[in-house]
Amino acid sequence: MLIKLYLEAPIVWFFTLILEIVRQVIYGLKHTMQEAISAFCNQSPISKVVLVVQNSLVYALRVGPVPDHVSFVMDGNRRFANLKKLPLKEGHEAGGATFLKLVYICKRIGVKCISCYAFSIENFNRSQEEIDTLMELFSRKLSEFAEKAKDHQDALHGCKINVVGNKSLLSAKLRTQIKEVEKLTDTGNTKFSLYICFPYTSRDEITTSIMKNVAATRSTPSTTEISEETLTNNMHLGPFSNTCDILIRTSGHKRLSDYMLWESHENATIEFDNTLWPSFGFTKIFFIMLKWSYYKNIQQYSETSFSLRKEILRSCHNFVKPVSVPLQSLAAAPPAVTVTKKKA
Amino acid sequence: MSEPRDEARATTGKSAENLQKTRLLRSESTKFQDHVAPPIVGALKRGSANTKMRTVKAIAESILINKCSDEKRMKDEVDKHGQWKHSTMGIIEFFVYKILLVGLYIAYGIFRYFQYQYNLMKLRILNVFYSPSNTPQLIRQDVRKLNKIPKVLASILEVKPVGDVGGGSKGLLNDGSKLVCWTVSAGIKQLILYDYEGILQGNVELFREGIYAKLSKYYGPYNVPTFAVKVPHENKVYYNLKGNSQKKSKVSIEVSLLSSRDGRETIVDLTKTMAHLYKQGDLSLDEITVDLVDQELVQLVGHEPDLLLYFGPALDLQGYPPWHLRLTEFFWEADNNQVTYSVFIRGLRVYAGAQMNVGK
Repeated sequence: MLIKLYLEAPIVWFFTLILEIVRQVIYGLKHTMQEAISAFCNQSPISKVVLVVQNSLVYALRVGPVPDHVSFVMDGNRRFANLKKLPLKEGHEAGGATFLKLVYICKRIGVKCISCYAFSIENFNRSQEEIDTLMELFSRKLSEFAEKAKDHQDALHGCKINVVGNKSLLSAKLRTQIKEVEKLTDTGNTKFSLYICFPYTSRDEITTSIMKNVAATRSTPSTTEISEETLTNNMHLGPFSNTCDILIRTSGHKRLSDYMLWESHENATIEFDNTLWPSFGFTKIFFIMLKWSYYKNIQQYSETSFSLRKEILRSCHNFVKPVSVPLQSLAAAPPAVTVTKKKA
Repeated sequence: MSEPRDEARATTGKSAENLQKTRLLRSESTKFQDHVAPPIVGALKRGSANTKMRTVKAIAESILINKCSDEKRMKDEVDKHGQWKHSTMGIIEFFVYKILLVGLYIAYGIFRYFQYQYNLMKLRILNVFYSPSNTPQLIRQDVRKLNKIPKVLASILEVKPVGDVGGGSKGLLNDGSKLVCWTVSAGIKQLILYDYEGILQGNVELFREGIYAKLSKYYGPYNVPTFAVKVPHENKVYYNLKGNSQKKSKVSIEVSLLSSRDGRETIVDLTKTMAHLYKQGDLSLDEITVDLVDQELVQLVGHEPDLLLYFGPALDLQGYPPWHLRLTEFFWEADNNQVTYSVFIRGLRVYAGAQMNVGK
């Protein structure tokens, strides 16, 4: 027993050491490779080529099946800042920039609605300093988005911005700003909407919906009107509350953390990714979308039972004369005779 | 400082009492619609109907399926001066992009084929490494290496096509009882088994026999651990086998059986009950808080699980009660389609390594 212990400890230790060294080396290599590639792509003639390729890939996805509702959990801003030795604020700033980039890409692919988890009600447990920074950043980003939504030259033009969640927890100043922005971007024609969940938790959302439903029974004689639909309609995300097609969570945690429980517990594709949110880029989102599109295509195929032969036959139908033969027009049949002939 | 909170708790207590007095108004819609799985799971799970030929056909004919609508042909572009302009594609351009998409699909399909084979190989090797072969001591030894285990474990099970190995409702019952044995051996006290159509709920007697048989295989027929099977929807608890169902003070494991009826439907029923009380004047709107709803749903459905194991190819929550998924850690193995011990123990390992920081 003792000998086994003496032997086991150094061996295990040795293996962990080697594993750790290998891991570090791989990490370092990956990092330098990534930096080199991004530096290479940012040169002006190559960046144009990259842009052209990206554009054609985006349009290729656009012509296939496209999800209606994509949702992001933007996790990993702080770890990103720690890793790059930046102040916390810069981490959140970089996260905001990534979000804008992804919104552009998704809009061009043809997604109808994007939602994101900007701030949880639980986040009020953080330090006051960080909360203030986040609030300030949010207010700045919101006006930036509103400006872009009004700008004819911008891709975000005509986008409807909604800030949803328990807004009573916000300051009065921020609430008036939100109201203004929502009013400004509500143009009636909504091809693309953006839902920002700011102080939000899903349990709070469900409870609010229950409360609204209960309050609505004040004027009705019975309680039979309450159903899944009425509950869904009172959730925060308007027409997109029933389901969320793709939910993406970055930075490796495999849980929902009180986000979109009602929306994603039925048939959402939930993707967990290990990258930190600020480094979540075009390749990642493209790959996720391509995967979804590929499988949706197969699913659609099995549902519609599309068949090329049938389609062709149907289109040929016009050239073939329809059959019309009355029975009387046939020549008379020979007389019928039975074997067991009886004398009548 | 604690005064308002206590007061709040007192009011919550009162309204909760009112709620308990009224029986929950259960709606009678127990007709099951087919569960629509997310695309990736739906495509991987179709069993023998899902052949490579079919996939190739689907890809090839996708050029013809999607109609060329105006909306699809919209285009936003950046021009030389960095400004955005909106335009529409021509029909030829549209088809060029379609062909490009099919090319992408084919590339992805080939990549996916190799990934799938790699995953299958990995799972096979893992299954060789971790095979407890009915030995609780080995399972306990594996678990002893971890620094924590979940208090409540949940698992989504599903019926496989009848023709496949371990298919049909028999296969489901077998999977369920296997899981019960592993959970007991791992030392976890509460297990939640969820299946969309409620087959386990409908066959409680058979399931109890199944668990008993499996447990006696693991522990020998003379010291079968005591177990309780709970069906929260019908508010019933069954102890051990039908014959010797004497209630013991302590059970080794409590198994709750859930189905899609415990999800959205139960929340609807709770809302109706609340509306009823509100009309009678026993409940005011301010009293409907997250705490009250949580208390009621814990009462009606059970506790929030710490870890949710899914034995399918990609995560598909299948309408698991949404309220109870708040902080649950998910675990599944890509492209796995069997209920195996290796998935179970690897899930527990991942849980032991996970860190929780609520909001921080």
